[in-house]
Amino acid sequence: MKKIFFFILFCYFVNPIFSQEDSQTAKFSTLPSVDIKTLDGKNFNTKDIDNDGKPIIISLWATWCRPCIEELTAIAELYEDWVEETGVKLYAISVDDSKTASRVVPFVNGRAWEYEVLQDVNSDFKRAMNVVDIPYLCVLNEKREIVWQHTSYAPGNENEIYEVVKKISNK
Amino acid sequence: MKRQLLFLWQILFLALLLIPPLTKGQSTIGRGKISGDFSFSGMYYLPDSLINATEVEEKVRANTYLNLLYTNANFSVGARYEFYLFPLIDFEQIGYKGQGITYFFADYKNDFLQVTAGSFYEQFGNGFTLRAYEDRALGIDNSLYGARVKVTPYSGINIKAIWGIQRKNFDFNFMERKDFVRGGDMEVVFDEIFPKMSERGFSTSVGGSFVSKYENPKDVTLKLPANVGVWSLRFLFRYKGFRIESEYANKINDPNLGNGFIYKNGEALFITTSYSQKGLGVSLSFIRTDNMDFRSQRNTPNTTPLLQINNMPSINHQYTYALLGNYSFVSQPNGEIGLQLQANYNIPKKTKIGGKYGTDLTIHYSRLHDIDKQFVAASDSLGSLKGTDGYISHFFKFGKNLLYQDIGFEMSRRLNSHWKLGLEYNFLTYNLHLLQGEADTNLFKGHHAGVEVQYKINSRHALRLDAQHLYSKQDMGSWLHLLIEYSISPHWFFSVADAWNYGNSQKEKKIHYFNVAATYIIKTTRISLQYGKTREGILCSGGVCRTVPASYGVGLSVITSF
Repeated sequence: MKKIFFFILFCYFVNPIFSQEDSQTAKFSTLPSVDIKTLDGKNFNTKDIDNDGKPIIISLWATWCRPCIEELTAIAELYEDWVEETGVKLYAISVDDSKTASRVVPFVNGRAWEYEVLQDVNSDFKRAMNVVDIPYLCVLNEKREIVWQHTSYAPGNENEIYEVVKKISNK
Repeated sequence: MKRQLLFLWQILFLALLLIPPLTKGQSTIGRGKISGDFSFSGMYYLPDSLINATEVEEKVRANTYLNLLYTNANFSVGARYEFYLFPLIDFEQIGYKGQGITYFFADYKNDFLQVTAGSFYEQFGNGFTLRAYEDRALGIDNSLYGARVKVTPYSGINIKAIWGIQRKNFDFNFMERKDFVRGGDMEVVFDEIFPKMSERGFSTSVGGSFVSKYENPKDVTLKLPANVGVWSLRFLFRYKGFRIESEYANKINDPNLGNGFIYKNGEALFITTSYSQKGLGVSLSFIRTDNMDFRSQRNTPNTTPLLQINNMPSINHQYTYALLGNYSFVSQPNGEIGLQLQANYNIPKKTKIGGKYGTDLTIHYSRLHDIDKQFVAASDSLGSLKGTDGYISHFFKFGKNLLYQDIGFEMSRRLNSHWKLGLEYNFLTYNLHLLQGEADTNLFKGHHAGVEVQYKINSRHALRLDAQHLYSKQDMGSWLHLLIEYSISPHWFFSVADAWNYGNSQKEKKIHYFNVAATYIIKTTRISLQYGKTREGILCSGGVCRTVPASYGVGLSVITSF
C-alpha cells in the first residue's frame, strides 16, 4: 500500500516538472518497439508502423471479442471514404493466441476488411502499450505520436475517431 | 469488516488520486517515459442461499494491481505490484491470494539483440513446448523469472534462449525452489531472406524448439527423471490465398500426477489449412494431443493452470455468451483428437442480397473425441498403471467417447443507418461426465438461438437488445437471457440483464439472475458499477475457462492505463 502511495506522489511531482521542461517532445508518447508478426509469418517491429506523415489508427482486437468486431465493422463501412479524404491507414493488431491465431487470415478476408492486419500472439505489444482490456484504439499524428486513445466501443465512437483523424490530416 | 472497508477506501482513494496526474500527458524523466496501468475490481458480497452464494467472512473483497513501465530509448524496466490479500472469492478458491511485487524486469533491445533479466512472458511457436503467459481475468500468470536472450543474426533468422523459474501464485521463495525451466527456439523466415519469394506470392518459414524442465527427483517408490524435455518442429507455407501451417511436438517420459505417473512419451500434432480471398475465408484444423500436460512441478493437479509450461490450444469455436459459458470446451492436453471447420463469407455491399451495407455470414463446426487407449498390464493388484508405460494409442484413431461438438451459424447485417441485426443458431454437445466430472454420463445437448438488435437513435445514442434462448433437457435445463444496453458515445453504458433458468427440473431453482450495470469511460479509464447475481459455473475469457462460485452483490471496478 505504501509503495503505491509513494508512486502516486511521485507522479504528481514528476509530471509537472518534466512536462514543462520538455513540453514539445514529451506531450505525447510514441509507439514501443515490440516484435510481432505479419499475416505471412514475417517479423514486424511495431516502431515501423508508418503512413508517410498521414494519420494512423491502431486497433487492438481479437476474433472472439464482439465489441472489437463491431467497432472494426462500423469503421469498415466508412473506411473507403476516410482513406479518400484523409489518407488514414488502420492497423488492426490481433491478440488472438494459438487457439484462434490461424483463423485470423480467413476471418479478416471473410469480412472483406481493407486494414493492415498484424498478429500479437502472446500479447507482448498489448502489454507494452499497458492495455488492460480490448477493444483498444488509438490515433497517431504525422509524427507518429499517440494523440488520442480509447478503450471499449459504443456505437457512434467512429464519429469521434474520424473528427480526430480529420484534424490531423488538415494540419 | 471495519478493516475491510478501510482497505477498500484506501484503494479507491488511491485510484482517484491516480487519474489527474496521469491523464494530463505523458510523464517523463529526462528523455525516457513512464507508462503503466492500474486495475481495481472489488465486490461487496451478499449471501443468497437459493443460488448457493454462501456467506463469506470478509464481505468486501478486491483484486488490485499496478503495472509500471519506464522506457528510455533501447532500455526499459518494469514492475507490477499486486494486492490480492482479500481477493474476490473465485480467486481465493484457486489460491491466488497474497500481495507483493510479482513481476519486474530490465530489458535492452536493438535490431540485433534483446536481453531481458527478471520476469518475462514468452511463447515458442504455437506454445507446445513453452508458453509463459498471463490472463488476469482468470488468475493465470505463468511468467518466468530468470533471463532471456533473443538474437536476430540475419534478417529472417530468429534465435531465442530462456532460463527461468516459473511463478507460483504468491510464493516468493525462489531460492528454495527445486525446479526450473530452460529452452531455446529457432525460426527461419525464408521470404525475409529471399524477398523475391514474397513478390511471387510465396511465404515459408520453419522453426523448432526444445524446452527442458529440471525438478528434484526425490521419490520413495519410483525412479523419476530429473530432467523432462519437450521438442517440436513447425512450418508455415503460403501461396497467395492458400495457407498451411503445422506443428508436431514430442515429450520424453514425464511421470506426473495428471497422467497417473506413467512413463509413456507424450505427443501432439496440429495442422491448420485455409483458403481465403477478399470476401471469403475457409479454414480447417486438426489437433491430436496425447499426454502433453507439462508442468514445473510434477505433483500439480491438472485441474489448475498453475505451473503449466506449455499450452495446447483448444481449436473449437470460442463463444462469448454467458449462457454457453458452462459448456465451453477447454483443451485436454492429456488426450483429445478432433477437427474444426469454419467459413466466413461477406455478401458484398450494394448488391441485391447483400443490401446497401453488405452482410457477414459465418458457419462453424467442430468435433472432439478422446484418444484411443489400449492399456498395458497394471503394475499392482489394484489395477494402477503407476510406473508403467500406461497405454498405447493408434495415432489417427478417434477414441470412442465424444467430448464436444458445436455446429453454428451466424449472420450480421446493417439494415439502414439506424438498425443493425444479428442472428445466431448453435447446436452444442458436451460431455459433462468426462469434462466436468459429473456423475451423469448422458451427453449434454443444447440448442442455442440468439437475436441481437441495435438501434442507433442518433450519432451518439444507441440501444442494443440481446435475446438468447438455450433449450436443453440435460444439466440445468433451459435458459432465457435478455440484455438491454443503452450507450452514449463515447462515455456511458447502462445495462439491465436477466438470465432466467426457467427450465430447471427443480422448481425452487427456476431462478432469475438479474444484473444492472453502469459504466463510465474516459479515454483509457473505465469505471463501472454493477449489482446482481452471478450463477455458479464456468467463466471464460478468450477461450480459457475456470469455475466460479455463485455470487451476489455490488461490484465496482476502476481500470486505467496511462
